[in-house]
Amino acid sequence: MRRSDQRIITTHVGSLSRPPELLALNAARRSGAADTSAYVKGLTAAVAAVVTKQREVGIDVANDGEFGKPMSAAYDYGAWWNYAFERLEGFEAPDSIPESEHKKSAVAELSLTTFARRRDWQQFSEFYHDPTSGLVGSAPARRQRRPVCVGPLRYKGHAQTKADIDRLKSALAQAGIEEGFMTSVAPASFARGEDLYYKTEEDFVAAAAEAIREEYQAIIDAGLVLQIDDPSLPDNWDMINPEPPLEEFKKFSRVRIDALNYALRSLPEDRIRYHICWGSWHGPHTTDIALADIVDLVLTVRAQAYSVEAANVRHEHEWRVWQDVKLPDGKIVVPGIVSHATNVVEHPRLVADRIIRFAKIVGRENVIASTDCGLGGRIHPQIAWAKLQALAEGAKLATGELWR
Amino acid sequence: MKRSTGRVLTTHVGSLPRPDDLMALYRDNASDESLHLRLRSAIGDVVRRQVESGIDVVNDGEFGKAMRSAMDFGAWWSYVYPRLAGYELREEQAKKGRAAWTFGSKERKEFAEFYAAEASAAATASQGGTSTARLYGLTCTAPVKYVGHTAIKRDIENLTAAVRANHVEDAFMTAVSPATLQILPNEYYKSREDYTFALAEAIREEYKAIVDAGFILQIDDPALVDIYDWWFSMNDDLTGYRKWAEFQVEAVNHALQGIPEDRVRFHICWGSWHGPHKGDVELKDVVDLLLKVKAQGYSVEAGNVRHEHEWKVWQNTKLPDGKLVVPGVVSHATNVLEHPELVADRIVRFAKAVGRENVIASTDCGLGGRVHPQLAWAKLQALTEGARLATKQLWP
Repeated sequence: MRRSDQRIITTHVGSLSRPPELLALNAARRSGAADTSAYVKGLTAAVAAVVTKQREVGIDVANDGEFGKPMSAAYDYGAWWNYAFERLEGFEAPDSIPESEHKKSAVAELSLTTFARRRDWQQFSEFYHDPTSGLVGSAPARRQRRPVCVGPLRYKGHAQTKADIDRLKSALAQAGIEEGFMTSVAPASFARGEDLYYKTEEDFVAAAAEAIREEYQAIIDAGLVLQIDDPSLPDNWDMINPEPPLEEFKKFSRVRIDALNYALRSLPEDRIRYHICWGSWHGPHTTDIALADIVDLVLTVRAQAYSVEAANVRHEHEWRVWQDVKLPDGKIVVPGIVSHATNVVEHPRLVADRIIRFAKIVGRENVIASTDCGLGGRIHPQIAWAKLQALAEGAKLATGELWR
Repeated sequence: MKRSTGRVLTTHVGSLPRPDDLMALYRDNASDESLHLRLRSAIGDVVRRQVESGIDVVNDGEFGKAMRSAMDFGAWWSYVYPRLAGYELREEQAKKGRAAWTFGSKERKEFAEFYAAEASAAATASQGGTSTARLYGLTCTAPVKYVGHTAIKRDIENLTAAVRANHVEDAFMTAVSPATLQILPNEYYKSREDYTFALAEAIREEYKAIVDAGFILQIDDPALVDIYDWWFSMNDDLTGYRKWAEFQVEAVNHALQGIPEDRVRFHICWGSWHGPHKGDVELKDVVDLLLKVKAQGYSVEAGNVRHEHEWKVWQNTKLPDGKLVVPGVVSHATNVLEHPELVADRIVRFAKAVGRENVIASTDCGLGGRVHPQLAWAKLQALTEGARLATKQLWP
């Protein structure tokens, strides 16, 4: 994968703002009213435009904005994993199925809780339940039930993924962009919904790993960088109530990373980047686990690059973690330098300062400047693009100081 | 004014979340009697809660400044409306909102779609009407005169009682700057200069009352920096802006004549709305003028991503002896809670630039009306925890 060998290169975490026309097409498709050819035509045009726009603002490693992962409202935090329900066999709509709790973990003395019982949500319940709190995509919308696993998981998204890949590759070629990436969900970030079929949560994750591997393989075979989205690694911590002992949590997480590594077996490490974040909603995040507590696990993932939030006020100070932890030779850190957590647009000087901090610790050639999380669906489109522009401008400033 | 000798002191910019029933009283234009009764107890509570949160230099949460709904960004200056004579309310003008007073803003132009979406969301959120909505319709048509003596006396009495009950040493009270007031359209005075000086003369009465009562006076002057975008940005007219700002500093210094500098702190910020703020003027372009204000403490945003990098300005600018910087180290600009270690890092940066005894840790802007109450208090807690961590590093 490309690295910052002559200058600081830039990328982002994946989701970009869907244009209104695409949102309308997604909504029509969802309601079954879509004309397939109109959808495909609209999607192809939107991907071409979003790739060109990334080049124009100065993003080096671009993607399709995750436009193939349907989002039907302008604010939507879940498309990054909801897309997978369509691409996997074994799920049913929850309508007629009674709601079930998470199973107890088979490997650790803990179990995940529901969204509403997350520690962060309980501690700040007044905030989360206040419709005027300014929290976009707040509680009721987020608690919609997802499809339930009722049978063996099997990948069936070959055609959709191939179409996504083809659209992105042709857009990259048109825009003259050397390297593109495509996101795909990690088994543990996907297999943590309701499951009536597998015996344990861990069996569910293992089956998800086996199935989703086909998507990973397709992305890599196409010559794209594969980004694995795995917010669940840090985010599960807050979904365990009460707070578990760290060692139990690490046992619980270890199995999930093993499953991911199993899914990534024999795929070339230097074509894979691994993304973690602590959940992208605009909440206080005081119960987020510290990066220092999980960084050892993160570094065992078979990926060349690690994409980690570092631009919001809960995690900004964690750049220091990289002073204490040796980044293995050849690996790359992809820190969040601009964030969806504030409407204020990062000053390019701040962007440069943040990049330089990382570069001084891990080496300038081992940093790719990025976002905390996908910007699409999490912040107003105009602000999203202004943030990517600030990222690119700041990277230029940093380059000026790091190569002189 | 107390300074950070032995440990890093904390304060905040002023506005704190109002209790629902207090806002309801303002919304319903309750009688003075019932309002005063509730104000007194609410101010007692909010001072106690600040002390419990570890805030050293406290205030009345600006509760005497009417706020009518939970999300309301304007009470810090709309409060002055009933306290100043010389204005006429015009419905047509009020409808235009702040847009009536701008000469074009680059920020509003670049982010037009965002601001349009925000405006409609804000209209939905603030069912009770914001406090500024009333202000937008005012035009000066007669000599301005301070008539808020009863109101300021009430505010002072309330804070005095609360401070005594909680054994607090240092408390502050906010009042608006002439530069902010001169944004209101004027038809009476011949020039903007005459108008501004008349406002300075008038508001000076409030400044004096606050200082005479033994409180630290905090002058709120967002206009000093945010006017750049509203009035001067379309032509990148930094020269015109600086000329305007220099005059405004003269005006506020006129209002401060005879008031001891060590009882005054001066607050600037670039407007507290949750927007991109890409059009904000840089601190480095105005810091020399800021330092001419006859105040001991300068309260400046430094806890949001547009202005965080500006701590470096204080490496290159000599802070005059005896002065204080009161940087924002937690901000209303994000719902995410600042990690105490980040707070400490920010404080330590300032302490290293200007000396540990010359820093009081604060917020970017008032938190009340700008973030959810639960988050506002949690942010003050993060502030004091961070100050404790910084103290350990700075006084090893």
